[in-house]
Amino acid sequence: MSKERFLSDLKSALGRMSEEERREVVYDYEEHFRMGAAEGKSEEQIAQGLGNPRVIGRSYAIDALLEEPKGGGDVKAASVLRAVFASISLTFFNIIFILGPFLGFVGVLIGLWATAVALGASGVAVVLSPIGALVVPGFVNLSGVSPLFLIFAGIGVAGLGVLAGIGMWKVTQLFVRGTAAYLRFNARIVTRRTQGGRE
Amino acid sequence: MNIQFKKGVLELCVLVVLCRKDFYGYELVQAISKNIDIAEGTVYPILRRLTKEGYFKTYIQESAEGPARKYYQITDKGREYQVELLQEWTKFIAGVNTLIGKEAAA
Repeated sequence: MSKERFLSDLKSALGRMSEEERREVVYDYEEHFRMGAAEGKSEEQIAQGLGNPRVIGRSYAIDALLEEPKGGGDVKAASVLRAVFASISLTFFNIIFILGPFLGFVGVLIGLWATAVALGASGVAVVLSPIGALVVPGFVNLSGVSPLFLIFAGIGVAGLGVLAGIGMWKVTQLFVRGTAAYLRFNARIVTRRTQGGRE
Repeated sequence: MNIQFKKGVLELCVLVVLCRKDFYGYELVQAISKNIDIAEGTVYPILRRLTKEGYFKTYIQESAEGPARKYYQITDKGREYQVELLQEWTKFIAGVNTLIGKEAAA
C-alpha cells in the first residue's frame, strides 16, 4: 500500500473529528512515513509495518466520540448515539452485544415516558371535566361525582405525572451516561481484539 | 504471543518507555516494536488518548537532520498511572507464573 492510499484510508475512517484534530492525527503518520523513508524503507514497507489504516482510524473516531466533555459536563446523547453506530461498524459482535440491549432499553424508556405523559394528560383532563360538563353537557357526563372531588383527584393524578416525568428525566440521563461508559469499555476490548491488522 | 494480550499491555509499554526519557513518535514506536511484534500504527492512538487524559505532554523540537519533531514527555499524573499499571501487571504475571509452576510440577 502506498503512503497516499494509507493516509486517505486513514482520513476516511476518522469520522466526525474536527478539521484540526484530523490534521494532528494525519501529521503523526506523515512524520512516521518521513522518518521511515529517511531510514531507507519503502512506502510499502512502512505502511505494512503500521497496520490497517481503517482499523487505526476507527479507534481514533471512537475515542473522539467518547471523550469526557471538558468542564465535567454530560456526554451528549447525540454523540453517544453516533458512538453506538461507530462501535457497531467495528464487528458483528457488537450487533448482538450493543444494539440488542440498547434498543431494548430505548423501548422500555419510551414506554415509561408514555406512561408519565399519559398520567399528566389524564390528570389535566379530569381537572377540566367539570368545566367540560358545563360547556358541552351532552358530551361530558360527571355521573353524579362531585366536581370538587374531580378537581382535587385530577390535580393529584397530574402531580403523579409530573413526578413520573422528573423521575424519567433522571433515568434517561443515567441511561445516556451508562451507555457512554459501557461503550468506552467496549471500544477498548473490541479495538484491542481487532486493531492488529496483521493477524 | 496472542494478539489480544499484546494490545492489553501496549499501553503499559508506552508508559514504561516514556518514564525513562522523552521520545518522539517514530523513535518510541521503534523502541517498542524492536522488542514486541505489533502493528506500529496502533501506538499513535494510544499516545493521543493518554496525552488527552493528561498522562503526557508534547513539545516540538528542531532536529539537526530535518524537520521539527513532536516529543512526548510523561507528566506526574502519568508516572502515578504507570506505577499503578505496573503493580497490576506484576501481580498478574506472578499469578500466571504460579499457575504455570503448579502445572509443570503436577
